[in-house]
Amino acid sequence: MVEFTLWDILRNLLLAARWTVGLSLIAFIGGGLVGFALLIARLTPSQGAHRLVGLYIQLFQGTPLLIQLFLAYFGLALFGIQTSAWTAATLALTAYTSAFLSEIWFGCVASVPRGQWEAARSLALTFGEQLRHVILPQALNIAIPPTVGFLVQVIKGTALASVIGFVELTKAGGMITNATFRPFTVYAAVALIYFALCYPISLTARALERTLHAAHR
Amino acid sequence: MWVSRRVFSVGLAAVLSVIAAVEASGQTALDGIVRSKAVRIAVPTDFPPYGFVGSDMQPQGLDIDMARLIAGKLGATVELIPVTTSNRIPYLQTKKADLVISTLGKNPDREKVIDFTAAYSPFFIGVFAPKAMELKAPGALAGKSIAVTRGSVDDSELTKVAPSTAEIRRFEDNNATISAFVAGQTQTVATSAQVAAAMITKNPQLGAEYKFLLKDSPNFIGVGKGEDALRAKLNEIILAAKADGTLEALSRKWLGRSTGDLPE
Amino acid sequence: MVNLDFGTILVDWRMLAKGVAWTLRLTTASATGGLALGIGCAWARIHGPVWLKAVTGAYVELFRNTPFIVQLFFIFFGLPAAGFRLSPETASILAMVVNLGAYATEIIRAGIEATPRGQVEAALSLALSPVQTFFHVVLPPALRKIWPALVSQIIIVMLGSSVCGQISTEELSFAANLIQSRNFRAFEAFIVAALIYLALSIVLRRLLNWLGPRFLFGD
Repeated sequence: MVEFTLWDILRNLLLAARWTVGLSLIAFIGGGLVGFALLIARLTPSQGAHRLVGLYIQLFQGTPLLIQLFLAYFGLALFGIQTSAWTAATLALTAYTSAFLSEIWFGCVASVPRGQWEAARSLALTFGEQLRHVILPQALNIAIPPTVGFLVQVIKGTALASVIGFVELTKAGGMITNATFRPFTVYAAVALIYFALCYPISLTARALERTLHAAHR
Repeated sequence: MWVSRRVFSVGLAAVLSVIAAVEASGQTALDGIVRSKAVRIAVPTDFPPYGFVGSDMQPQGLDIDMARLIAGKLGATVELIPVTTSNRIPYLQTKKADLVISTLGKNPDREKVIDFTAAYSPFFIGVFAPKAMELKAPGALAGKSIAVTRGSVDDSELTKVAPSTAEIRRFEDNNATISAFVAGQTQTVATSAQVAAAMITKNPQLGAEYKFLLKDSPNFIGVGKGEDALRAKLNEIILAAKADGTLEALSRKWLGRSTGDLPE
Repeated sequence: MVNLDFGTILVDWRMLAKGVAWTLRLTTASATGGLALGIGCAWARIHGPVWLKAVTGAYVELFRNTPFIVQLFFIFFGLPAAGFRLSPETASILAMVVNLGAYATEIIRAGIEATPRGQVEAALSLALSPVQTFFHVVLPPALRKIWPALVSQIIIVMLGSSVCGQISTEELSFAANLIQSRNFRAFEAFIVAALIYLALSIVLRRLLNWLGPRFLFGD
């Protein structure tokens, strides 16, 4: 068959890792935008909006990411929308991220003292202005460490996209294992590359937690 | 910043009408190929020598050569789409690919949802196990573990004949099935003779050999249900390739054997 | 436009039920194992000798910064090359235990470190041994404090068991996948699976919230 040296293995894995990074960033940023919109919806006085957002979050937190990926992949196609593994993975991961981020952020906003809202209202600020000038800046400090920490979850989540055929790091690992029959080496290398991606981010999140004194609020 | 209700409903109507248009277009696959001069062909990348990747991560193999041949004769550029056993039929059903050339065997369940062309290459499904193991017929699988790829013809044939005490372990794709057997996770494996031959050459320490035949199940090209124009064109190409010896040459190059008799 | 057919899925309810049984079996085994491992490693990270702190620290960081599916594949496909061959079910449970253990270690450690020093001193002054102090004075309030976080993590691991079907463990996702690979009704099959998982996560949360106070840390 074809011969792979150790360098060949590493090189191909690192090339595939680009897709992991790309997918992670798109899902994180996209999910952040959608999650922010959901957060605002949850902060409005509308009970209907609260219930809908609550349901959305419950759905994404109560079902496996793998099943969400399968549904995006097979389900959307049923409705005539062309889905490649890339599109399905992006959509599913973005929705997944938006649910979790909006929940994290809601918790951060909820920890801003009630008095702040009342003070802002007493200054005749509109709802939008209250959020923009008083509440969100305070929530931001608390929100940064867990948000950065969630990026690690997103990166790990991209590994599941391999099951619907998206060629990222894990799938490349599987393909190379089958071409070389060296699963121990290949999967160890795959794990190390993920570790190299995730560990620095985890450390950063922890450092941010300390510097922003979030725990002391 | 709120989106006004009117803008929202116009937007929704636009999206829905695009979807409806895509569904109602009624264009056949062959029309699409001829018009865009491009054909999307689903091929395997986890099943040497039919489809696998080299160290440059590019697909190669018998099915890939066949795909390029077909594209050439259709006057189109080829877009190779890697698929696994489990998603190749859905790919056709959802029009993500125009054809499937991926060691596709014909069986009644599949015939309900897609259409098949004439056969283009041989494919023998056998059971393989270490030399030391006595295994002459399916009955001997009693009490033994066997790896097979879920949803494949290998799976359906094996399920038909395996005794109830056989431990059948079904894996997501060929990649995982072969990896599992090589890792010693199962005592035996049911897969294509060709793939097993490659696996055995690469892993002499297994001491594995061919035990018995499950099915002689040649490979057909799959097209979407009702795509008769495309199917007719493909049959033309396949029969011509059979007559001028191209199919035989492909089989000898990749499988090291003759095509034998290929059904229409 | 779209015709959905749930009947073909529900006809195979026995296969789905078998899948649910496996999911529950995997979750129970890994929750117990993971919790025990978490308590042990948490203690090691606080009270253990330096080398043990380093080893458990490395374990925790390694397993929290790599995807579960890669851990599973390494155990199932990779370890046999080093001489350790485990059945798909054993590999699944091992992977889930070790994975939950890493998260549980950190969660429980946070709970333990929040126990006031005074409690420990009072216990020692009553001539309780360090072991007794740990299990009767330190651990129960720690567990009560971090129980919601731990329950959430167990649910995450339960949902993560869906990946074990990739190594042929016959849990719920595997069952749904098998059904749809035979009748080509993928969308319906996975919707049914999703709803079952949703029900499982709600029930599991209620169950664990009841179980904790009753058996682990008394309330």
